[in-house]
Amino acid sequence: MTLAQKGKVRVITGNSAAAYGAMLCRPDVATSYPITPMSEVAEQLSTFRSNGLTDTEMVEVEGENSAMNVVLGASMAGGRVFTATSSWGLSFMYDAVQHASGYRAPIVMVIANRESPGILAVSGGQQDIISVRDTGWIQVIVEEGQEILDMVIMAFRLAEDYDIQLPVMVNYDGFYLSYMATAVEIPEQRDVDQFLSVLKQQPRRQTLEPGRALGCGTHGIDLGFVELRYRQCMAMERVTTKLDDIDREFSEYFGRSYGGQIEEYRTDGAEIIIVTSGGAAGTTRVVVDSKREEGIKVGLVKLRLFRPFPRKRLAEVLKGRKAIGVIDRSVGFGWNSGPMYMELRAITPEIGIIPMLSYIDGLANLDITIPHIERVVDEVHNAAQGKPYQEVTWIPLEE
Amino acid sequence: MVQEKKRKLKVFDYFYEAEEQFSGGLAWCAGCTLELAARFVPKVLGKDIILVGCPGCSAPVFYGQNRGAWHRMAYFSSLMTGVASSATGISRYYRKIGKDVTVVCFTGDGCSADIGFQPLSGAAERNEKIIYITYDNEGYMNTGYQRSSTTPLGASTSTTPVGTASQGKLTPAKNVPLLMAMHGAVYAATATLSHLEDFAKKLQKAKEKVHEGFVYIHIFAPCVMGWRFATDQSIEVCRMAVRTNYFPLWEAEDGKFSLNLEVANPKPIQEFIKLVRKFSHMQEADITGFQQMVDQRYAIIKKLCEVIK
Repeated sequence: MTLAQKGKVRVITGNSAAAYGAMLCRPDVATSYPITPMSEVAEQLSTFRSNGLTDTEMVEVEGENSAMNVVLGASMAGGRVFTATSSWGLSFMYDAVQHASGYRAPIVMVIANRESPGILAVSGGQQDIISVRDTGWIQVIVEEGQEILDMVIMAFRLAEDYDIQLPVMVNYDGFYLSYMATAVEIPEQRDVDQFLSVLKQQPRRQTLEPGRALGCGTHGIDLGFVELRYRQCMAMERVTTKLDDIDREFSEYFGRSYGGQIEEYRTDGAEIIIVTSGGAAGTTRVVVDSKREEGIKVGLVKLRLFRPFPRKRLAEVLKGRKAIGVIDRSVGFGWNSGPMYMELRAITPEIGIIPMLSYIDGLANLDITIPHIERVVDEVHNAAQGKPYQEVTWIPLEE
Repeated sequence: MVQEKKRKLKVFDYFYEAEEQFSGGLAWCAGCTLELAARFVPKVLGKDIILVGCPGCSAPVFYGQNRGAWHRMAYFSSLMTGVASSATGISRYYRKIGKDVTVVCFTGDGCSADIGFQPLSGAAERNEKIIYITYDNEGYMNTGYQRSSTTPLGASTSTTPVGTASQGKLTPAKNVPLLMAMHGAVYAATATLSHLEDFAKKLQKAKEKVHEGFVYIHIFAPCVMGWRFATDQSIEVCRMAVRTNYFPLWEAEDGKFSLNLEVANPKPIQEFIKLVRKFSHMQEADITGFQQMVDQRYAIIKKLCEVIK
């Protein structure tokens, strides 16, 4: 029995969508260690296995650090691998996370984003992935259930592409998307097989094989280290356009497209742009529509790719606008602003000096509501008119 | 086991007949017991193994830092926190594709007893089909002789130095091989370099038993530099550890314990202590306490062999 026979459209949670996406890609080895709000991914994978829907080797590890190391080992041996985590789990695997990217292991990991350690916060937020943005992993943030499933499939294509060979984190809002059940179309297995089959035609990467003299160590020495780092960085550079290509190809297969690095919504003729990511993008769309009716020329840019940062495409889209507002679900310590805002500030030379406003909202499961985003649009609009503005606003504290 | 077949030793055959997997000029210290162990393991297990290790004394040679001298095996350098788990991943992948591959972890005690103990324990509990070999040099010898949890009671190390307020390590060593046997490993054993024929048999047994599940071998591997003894004394230190019952040679197969070498007249622990300068500060009272600890530990193993056989 294949998964597709179970019904084409199912009402499933974001966590289940991630598990379905992974299973359709037929990983050789998968691991996970339970953590709120991701545990359901582990349960779902184990259920698939128990019901004979997959022959993936499931390893029930004793901690997240081992979860990452198991998939790293399997990946180095040549296997396709998948794991999932959240927040403190990601922190606990931090050494292995860096090890994996150093080895250029094409691991796919989904993360149900949650506030990170420090303050006891069992609640949503993106601080967990922000804290690992410079680990050499590709980071994609998605908006809803269908996109989770589709992006997991695309993530395998991206990670394992011979030009890339970097691990990928597919991120979705913990507590919101992780638990919310929506209608999700489960692609046909044969279509997914076909979509991924291009990887088989590519050169095979070096793997650990018995009898083959191969000393895998990330203890690169002097110039060797620098060269490996450079290559890793160059691979990261190639991700931007590669993701666009994969997204286009995906839409040919499955009829759905997400824009690759970024998704634009009503940016044509927009004077101001709201930049955000994840589920907040959905709410922002609603506000963009209503504000457009009021006559405010506003558009949305949904940041999908956070690492590498899509600076070129963002510069193209943002150039010539009058003001930009960025809504972050995390904080950048030492900058008193949102991390995505900080990164956008870095492309000022490309887009020119215009008002850029940082909004911190949605920390610790607080809702990013329609009134919040309306306020953002109004303030950014006023800034575009040359009125004075506040650079950084912590929305929940000013309500 | 060892005694009845003593006249038919095959240990030299391994040295002369089995293909050497390492080149000359390796970057290990003169008199290093780890080097002997590392060279010996593939002689018995064969070259078609996948080795998994981590930073430590073995790593620079295994991953090829000393570019002029290397080996011919597949080696994956994990982090100290991930050896047993990375080995699990490799082993599971090969199981998935239906290929019989022997995955061997080879780490020091700092990994297996301390920072890598959690994944080691996890892999043993899951009964992963891997062989885990610890070369126990009783501390972090590669980073400058700091204490680990297998450093024995009273030993002087760079983090348990001898001073006016305290003298050496205050607590006894963690008994890792016993802990691993208690995990229900299909095969757990101790070995050392003065008894290579015993070590060889245990490696052979490991290769056979790993098809059923988790195998653990704990090698007593004294360190010339960290323990401070002459380079020609390495094997003597190993031998004396066995003869004083400081490091008894035992195995547990399917949970059944047996002593591989029952020392007829164990020597007093002074004979071992006096060989190694990390104990040189110990007074008579310390030595008496050390002897009691050795006797107690031996009694546990002895009793286990009597009760569970």
